[in-house]
Amino acid sequence: MLLIRCPWCGPRNEVEFSYGGAADVVYPPDPDALSDAEWGEYVFVRDNPRGPFAERWVHTAGCRRWFRAVRNTVTHEFREES
Amino acid sequence: MTDDLMRSPLAGVTFTAPFVRELPFLAMVNLRVGTFPHPLPGPNRVGTLDGRDVLWLGPDEWLVVGPPGDAPAIETLLHQALGDTHGSVVDVSANRTTLAVSGPHARDTLAKGCPLDLHPSVFGPGHCAQTLLARAQVVLRQVDADPTYHVLVRGSFAPYLAEWLADATREFW
Amino acid sequence: MTHPDRLWRNPCLKWSYDVVIVGGGGHGLATAYYLAREHGITNVAVLEKGWLAGGNMARNTTIIRSNYLMDESAAIYEHAMKLWEGLSDELDYDILFSQRGVLNLAHTLGDVREGVRRVNANRLNGVDAEWLTPDQVKEFCPIVDISPDVRYPVLGATLQPRGGIAKHDHVAWAYARAADRLGVDLVQGCEVTGFVRSGGRVVGVDTNRGPIRAGAVALASAGHSSVLASLAGLRLPIQSHPLQAMVSELLEPVHPCVVMSNHVHVYVSQAHKGELVLGAGIDPFNSYAQRGSVHVVEHQLAAALELFPVFGHAHVLRTWAGIVDTSPDASPIVGPTPVPGLYVNCGWGTGGFKATPASGWVYAHTIAHGEPHALNRPFGLDRFTTGALVDEHGAAAVAH
Ligand SMILES: Cc1cc2nc3c(=O)[nH]c(=O)nc-3n(C[C@H](O)[C@H](O)[C@H](O)COP(=O)(O)OP(=O)(O)OC[C@H]3O[C@@H](n4cnc5c(N)ncnc54)[C@H](O)[C@@H]3O)c2cc1C
Ligand SMILES: [Zn+2]
Repeated sequence: MLLIRCPWCGPRNEVEFSYGGAADVVYPPDPDALSDAEWGEYVFVRDNPRGPFAERWVHTAGCRRWFRAVRNTVTHEFREES
Repeated sequence: MTDDLMRSPLAGVTFTAPFVRELPFLAMVNLRVGTFPHPLPGPNRVGTLDGRDVLWLGPDEWLVVGPPGDAPAIETLLHQALGDTHGSVVDVSANRTTLAVSGPHARDTLAKGCPLDLHPSVFGPGHCAQTLLARAQVVLRQVDADPTYHVLVRGSFAPYLAEWLADATREFW
Repeated sequence: MTHPDRLWRNPCLKWSYDVVIVGGGGHGLATAYYLAREHGITNVAVLEKGWLAGGNMARNTTIIRSNYLMDESAAIYEHAMKLWEGLSDELDYDILFSQRGVLNLAHTLGDVREGVRRVNANRLNGVDAEWLTPDQVKEFCPIVDISPDVRYPVLGATLQPRGGIAKHDHVAWAYARAADRLGVDLVQGCEVTGFVRSGGRVVGVDTNRGPIRAGAVALASAGHSSVLASLAGLRLPIQSHPLQAMVSELLEPVHPCVVMSNHVHVYVSQAHKGELVLGAGIDPFNSYAQRGSVHVVEHQLAAALELFPVFGHAHVLRTWAGIVDTSPDASPIVGPTPVPGLYVNCGWGTGGFKATPASGWVYAHTIAHGEPHALNRPFGLDRFTTGALVDEHGAAAVAH
């Protein structure tokens, strides 16, 4: 069970949240300029590191805000400064 | 000011446990605003505004709660306070009903289905939170140190939650 | 059968092999076996960082079926089914393959439509499939609650009679022994930490026991595929998640088949020894911890009780998790990579045990010939560029 710190509501149980996967995925500024391979990479490929991972969560059952957090995918610890 | 057409989602439900009851038809007005001329409560806290309770819901969102029928007056109050400031005021009274759970077994009852830490050192009178109770989304607030809690729950989840409470309270009376 | 004292040698690691397979789970072991058996390539090492078949192979709930929706999937999973049917004989080891039938329950009109469609699609692909009414479900599995007054009543089910379970450890041991006998080196406690490159080509691996040269390097590392691929500069469309399962104490035979419900979201079988084996979906977040959250287990139990009220008397003995490698279309990735000399076999996610024989079989072919077999050609990395996905989210939802 994860204890997740919502930046607005404070630490809350994981059941109040939904997961949004990798953070910082930028929509390509000019999609038409991408090759098929680049577009496929943007749509389907995400980092999947063993260790610190910047990810998105939404406090579904709370304030309903999306936020970014850095969590270690091995220890499940959230990094404070995130 | 409640009229005959109003019907609580819990109309006809008898609460077996003596310390659970419904407070139907409370006026609830949702306020979303960036800056507001009057002080509003901070995270997870309940404040007051002109005799009404104001529950913090999120960084730019509050719920103003008053007695049944009070919604139009609250709306007027908020609109006037807003003036030209950009904001949103919506009467959501029909969205939720309120369950009051009070007395020595209230905390243990809620703890069975709520992931919050309800220990008095963490969550006491004047605290509120949007959270889950028995998997249903609720706004939970502690009203006094008896303790009395108010559980604000959507109409469609209310009968389920009432049944869950009947089950959860059974060992206590 | 009297059990042999040792199933495989503890070999001396050589400095060079024709093929190095990274990961000694079911897929790695099966690949090694078929490389040796079908293609005469015996100078092969399987490098396993832990102990043999201690990853998902040790943790899965052993459901075997081939009733997938898409033609490409039906072909490869049915190929696996046919191999399963002869596997105890072929490997001369009883893998306890039990074709007791797999039910997929339908609880909504949408479920019913999807189920009936899948039965028809399966039949067109030569996969055995039947549609059962609620009464027939009750006949096939008497402990399922088919009463109409529950929240999600059973409206019918698909049945694959040839589906079932096998004993996962036996499968691993059987492949390991057979590969070992053909000359394959099975090396435990050997972690791959990088790749040896020459020009653009992968020509070996770095390990905690030193570098090893290889004519070809074949990843079969399930949940760790992204980590390994990234060491070769390759990003895979894979996300690693915890997948949990649990067993009850040993019980008398009570549950005759495999029951899966995508909607109520649980699946249950009874293992040979007698424990009820339960599982459901992944924990939502990425993880390499082999550990999930308790609310997911709670949900599985609630769902199981909904379908099988009789389980109210059972106790959970143990829960655990593996790390599963999920892909965007719930289909595997098996084939060459843009890096010459490097092959990948991953993305089996929550459902790769059932594919073990076919996965090893097509992967061995791919490595031996330098290009995919017709059965795994649709499952290449290139589909994420061409858009020719093999979307099995429907047939794979609870998916094992
Ligand atoms: C709880 C659970 C239930 C499941 N239920 C089912 C089911 O009912 N039916 C079904 O069909 N499928 C099921 N699956 C999925 C199935 O287990 C997997 O798809 C399948 O086992 C993956 O292939 P594998 O056996 O080769 O993986 P693994 O056994 O995980 O093998 C990968 C190996 O690679 C090794 N490795 C990783 N990194 C390195 C490295 N750097 N160097 C050396 N070695 C390395 C690991 O230690 C591991 O042993 C389930 C999975 C889980 C977790
Ligand atoms: Zn929040």
